[in-house]
Amino acid sequence: MTSPHDRGSLSAFPIGRRRLLAGASAGALGLGLAPFGRAFAQAKRFDGQSLNLMIIQPHVVAGRYLAEAWEKLTGGKVNVTAVPYDQLQAKATLDVQSGTNNFDVIDYWYTGVGALANDGIIVDVTDRIERDKAEIQPDDYLRSIYDPYTLADGKRWGLPYDGDSHLLFYNTEIFGRHGLKAPTTWDEYLERSKAITEAEKANGIYGAAVLGGKAPIIIGASYTNRLAGFGGRYLKEDGSSALDESAAVEAAKALKDAAPSALPTPLETRFEEGLPAFLSGKVAMIEFWSDLGVYAQDPKGSKIVDKWDAVRIPVGGSNKTSRLALNSGFAFAISSGSEKQEHAWEFIKFATSAKTGLGLLLTTGSGIDPDRTSTLNAPEYKQFAPKVQTALAGALENGLPWPNGPESPQLMQVLADELALILADQKAPEEAIAAAHEQWTAIIGS
Amino acid sequence: MALAESIDTARTDAPARRRRWRLGNASLASPLVVTLALTTLYPLVALVALSLSKSTLGKPLRDWAGIANFTRVLGDPAFLASLWRSAAFAFPMAAVELVLGLALALLFHRLVRAGRVFTSLALLPLMTPPVMVGVAWKLIFAADGGLLNGWLRAAGLIDAPMSFLGSSSWAAVAIVVADAWQWTPFVALLCFAAIKGLSEEVMEAARLDGATAWQRFRHITLPLLVPTLAAVFLLRLVMAFKLFDLVYVLTFGGPGFDTTTSGFQIWRLAFEQFDVGRAAAATLVFVGFVSLVIWPASRAARRLEARYT
Repeated sequence: MTSPHDRGSLSAFPIGRRRLLAGASAGALGLGLAPFGRAFAQAKRFDGQSLNLMIIQPHVVAGRYLAEAWEKLTGGKVNVTAVPYDQLQAKATLDVQSGTNNFDVIDYWYTGVGALANDGIIVDVTDRIERDKAEIQPDDYLRSIYDPYTLADGKRWGLPYDGDSHLLFYNTEIFGRHGLKAPTTWDEYLERSKAITEAEKANGIYGAAVLGGKAPIIIGASYTNRLAGFGGRYLKEDGSSALDESAAVEAAKALKDAAPSALPTPLETRFEEGLPAFLSGKVAMIEFWSDLGVYAQDPKGSKIVDKWDAVRIPVGGSNKTSRLALNSGFAFAISSGSEKQEHAWEFIKFATSAKTGLGLLLTTGSGIDPDRTSTLNAPEYKQFAPKVQTALAGALENGLPWPNGPESPQLMQVLADELALILADQKAPEEAIAAAHEQWTAIIGS
Repeated sequence: MALAESIDTARTDAPARRRRWRLGNASLASPLVVTLALTTLYPLVALVALSLSKSTLGKPLRDWAGIANFTRVLGDPAFLASLWRSAAFAFPMAAVELVLGLALALLFHRLVRAGRVFTSLALLPLMTPPVMVGVAWKLIFAADGGLLNGWLRAAGLIDAPMSFLGSSSWAAVAIVVADAWQWTPFVALLCFAAIKGLSEEVMEAARLDGATAWQRFRHITLPLLVPTLAAVFLLRLVMAFKLFDLVYVLTFGGPGFDTTTSGFQIWRLAFEQFDVGRAAAATLVFVGFVSLVIWPASRAARRLEARYT
């Protein structure tokens, strides 16, 4: 038992006098070095802090790249959680709505920006963008991408990091065997697909893979390619449905016509089936996200290295101007449930910057496509993916966007259902598109 | 005197003691009551509230909607078709699994020694996560590089791959086959346990009387198993109505809507269109429909139980 007097004496401390003096010296030295310490802390300002990032599964390589680069730069740790691409919005919404608030930064498909904003899942970053615009350089974003990806209800809700669009990829070896050239119209596409399938079906080789799985991001992308090709659009200037225009039906007919000669069967062909089929040389054509050009040149997973090329999506009908469809495409937003919103914003600025974007573009397997003028035209990107860059430059700036309002998930689901009925031979294209238009009109008007 | 007093006291105290006893009982039962209220009543109340409101996944109970969600659900041909489709899947699946499960159980019983090994093996599909069951069968049925297509081509039965999951009729068959693979062992185990409980003496007596194996099964085993079989059938029927995971993985409700069951359609309303109000209304309609459809089956099962017990 110790007395109060004992407790006050130095001898009662479990450290010796020599150690105490050493400690005091260190303290004094520490005070003297404090300014240098602060400078060091500024360089690694998120040392010991962490953020939780939700990202779609196909971008998991990009997520890891960002986490490593962020930690190297700031000392901060990023925990990456990958979720299936068709469950992104539900996962983000449930995270906030349930009060779990696990995520600080969420990845969103741009068509969901209106719904996420309307439901209070993501944070309005209009003022932050204005405050940091010198750093962000919003004018560097491609105009066709920046607004559809971030703007809803007159406010900005995130920053783009992946400007997805489809190109038509074709296998030059198969085309060469049949003396064919890349198609420029949807009629030529169909002719080539039929010719190759008829000649090589017995060997398990088909003219085309048509992504027709019932998820909007899959079958919707195949339809939007044709809609853009026929010069169509989704919404009129007043925001009403444009599915009553002739291009909408023409596009649906072109989709249906493509099915019989395609890899069996379009209804079962999603991202996961289409990609390996093309990379293994089993299909001659595929409409796919432009990063396929990087996968195709990677000998680890591709049997068609140097045996492919990419062109812009064909045109159809009276339309003679090629237009790319902005199929998918992703941006980062701050989750409204995050308690580290400024920290999250710093990460988003870093992850969506031109420098980081270029790094991602040059990383095999990242799944990232250009969204800025500077990255699209960067010499490094031209050298890394010359065929893809050539096809994208000059066309991406005028891409056809999908609807992105609060009702967008319902609209695209309705359309995907009707398109699936066309591919299942249960509805004629005219009938299905008329039904989709009727439902769109009701949803938009409600 | 003392006795009379104590009797009087006891009489006076009796109501108080009974009250205390009742209170004691109530307090003992309260955890159960609270748990039931939390797990049954609360979700039901929440479901009703959601169904009467304009609710999205992000903003539930946004606005009063009255019966608008029910009107939309009952006027939606896709949902109404999904109800009948659920029934069309549930009854054959439960019946097929009952027949196969009983046959498997009889086989286990016959192979007494091997029975234990078979029982352990039978547990494997049950222990496999449903999503993995779907993935495995998807690889079997796939048109491009699928196992079944490979066998059929090797056997010279087809010259071009068949799209099992892309054709309306085959997709339904594929789901029934995958479901049967997963759940038949469960039925078999329940039947096996019931067969083990049958009296050997009755069987022995029948054997001595010269009854054949078929006669013993038809006139002794089957009648004695009827109560168990009826209960198992009902159980599987209710479970089969909730079919979701195999549809999600194998066909995603397609081709078109041909394999879209109500469970899958409700999921789509809530998690693809984010219309939670309509999904809640659809759930309540589905519950009503299942109760209505199962009621005759349940009555028939009770009658059979009464007759053979």
